[in-house]
Amino acid sequence: MTLARIYRALLLAGFQQAAQYRIQSLLWMLFAIIRPVIFLAAWIAVAVAQGGDIGGFKVGDFAAYYVCMTFVSQLTMAWNSHEFEWEVNQGRLSAKLLRPLHPLHYSVVENLVFKLNTLPVLGVVLILVSISFGAIYRTQVWHIIAFIPSVILAAALLFMFNWVIATLAFWATRMRTANTLFQRTLFIFAGQIAPIGLMPGWLQAVSYALPFWYMMGAPTEILRGGVTQEQVAQILIGQSVWLAITFVAFQWIWRRGVRAYSAVGA
Amino acid sequence: MSDRVVEVSGLRKIYKVHERQSGLGATVRSLVKRTFKEVQAVAGIDFAIEQGEVVGFLGPNGAGKTTTLKMLSGLLYPTSGTATVLGYTPWDRRDEYLRRMTLLMGNRTQLVWDIPAADSFLVLKEIFQIDDKSYQRRFDDLVELLELGPLIHKPVRQLSLGERMKVEFAAGLLHAPEVVFLDEPTLGLDVSMQVRIRGFVRELNKRTGATVLLTSHYMDDIVALCKRVIVIHHGRLLYDGGLADLAERMAPYKLVAATLRDGAADADLSKYGEIVSRDAGRVTLRVPRAQAADQTARIVGDLGPDLADLTLEDPAIEEVIDRVFSGDHPFGTPEREPVAAR
Repeated sequence: MTLARIYRALLLAGFQQAAQYRIQSLLWMLFAIIRPVIFLAAWIAVAVAQGGDIGGFKVGDFAAYYVCMTFVSQLTMAWNSHEFEWEVNQGRLSAKLLRPLHPLHYSVVENLVFKLNTLPVLGVVLILVSISFGAIYRTQVWHIIAFIPSVILAAALLFMFNWVIATLAFWATRMRTANTLFQRTLFIFAGQIAPIGLMPGWLQAVSYALPFWYMMGAPTEILRGGVTQEQVAQILIGQSVWLAITFVAFQWIWRRGVRAYSAVGA
Repeated sequence: MSDRVVEVSGLRKIYKVHERQSGLGATVRSLVKRTFKEVQAVAGIDFAIEQGEVVGFLGPNGAGKTTTLKMLSGLLYPTSGTATVLGYTPWDRRDEYLRRMTLLMGNRTQLVWDIPAADSFLVLKEIFQIDDKSYQRRFDDLVELLELGPLIHKPVRQLSLGERMKVEFAAGLLHAPEVVFLDEPTLGLDVSMQVRIRGFVRELNKRTGATVLLTSHYMDDIVALCKRVIVIHHGRLLYDGGLADLAERMAPYKLVAATLRDGAADADLSKYGEIVSRDAGRVTLRVPRAQAADQTARIVGDLGPDLADLTLEDPAIEEVIDRVFSGDHPFGTPEREPVAAR
């Protein structure tokens, strides 16, 4: 199949390229771990001060949540909006637009290469964090099985959402603010500050209605075994619906964006 | 059946440009209300190119050459007008079209910097769906023609500008495009590399019959490769025809250079034509084309033994082009209109 052959070639080139920047990749990965570990330490301190339990979350549950959150964040992260802005403003996108392959595919491969390259080290680090903080996992086999489609849907959703934001670069010279706004929103509603279950009722309702929790929080809860089978089904449906909406939105914006592209400097 | 590969009709492109005066006041005002000006980069041009032609696309900076090439390669949508290349509307950017044409821009890289070009080529092979046999044949041809042997396995970032350009050329031509748009292909290259690139383009056209539309600020590129040129200025088409005719129409004079012997170095030659330069006994005269033969004969007859040498030449193409762009020619200079300001 043609696309498979293209992906194989791109992945090979991607790994060769990444080999030049192994240290940088590892530093990025370790940098991404710092924040959840800080939150983990803070929540454990609070939980201990309150007798070891906050809203049903014990110290070991917090540890499991943040270890899973770090793992999921790493698997779902997307950074293409930063690069895309640069490519548009420098005219570097032109070379990609002149080839019979949608520029989105190059990002998919970059994304995969980074994740596959950093995953083994991340795994070791997370096992150590898990042991150090006494994480308690309530995960059963069916959680693991459900986690696989859920994390793939989450990664696709976050990736496509990032592309929608990236595409704004066709009109705005600087769209980093839009990306920062997205990151902050993600921070609040995806469950990065705290598990959504610990938030006030209205904030929980908003979080479940928006797409952000489905990008990180939902697969995290599945992986740590914090949801029932019925909830898993709802999560998978929610993720699929949001992915479909985001994909349609992307197609619509992309078609208009490419018409607005002025190919400056290239 | 028509052999026209490129057909352009009424092609027009207007850019909307954000405009603001300098200074703090203007900066603050622009936060509240942004002013845009519409600038016409291409003002409705028409031309056609036949299969296998190599056409020079000339114009000063900002004339609209690159914008036109970008529209023809599908990177830009025009404001109005139509164009077909190989029967496709370029800005539909259909995969079948992209597989049959290329746009090569000097100083712009499309290769991955950190890996050898040969590895980037393998990626392009799959993207352009080139079968193994064709790929190997073209790869070998390009390596031979562009002398890429020692370069192809080095990371691209370790190549010099000239070496990188050659490798870029190969990357852009691996899929054997039928139409090649070349934008300043020799920009920034040394003379020897320019000559090689020119030779390569000529050979490419000869071997594959590819149609080439070429822009360059180096007139040597144009003279070496193009029998036909299209001249645009301020987005409008000024001339479309033979390169030789361009000199005749735009610069209706010839240059007579007379070298005088020592005793006659100060002779007055102004009655034969306008003196352009005088330097150590060598006098260059500008003479109307129609009178060039007669005046030359007169000089030979009048000066006789005082004349050491005499040549009759067309003005340098750079000079002709300069006259075209400065409006010093029978057609005048078209005004660029800011279409609207609001």
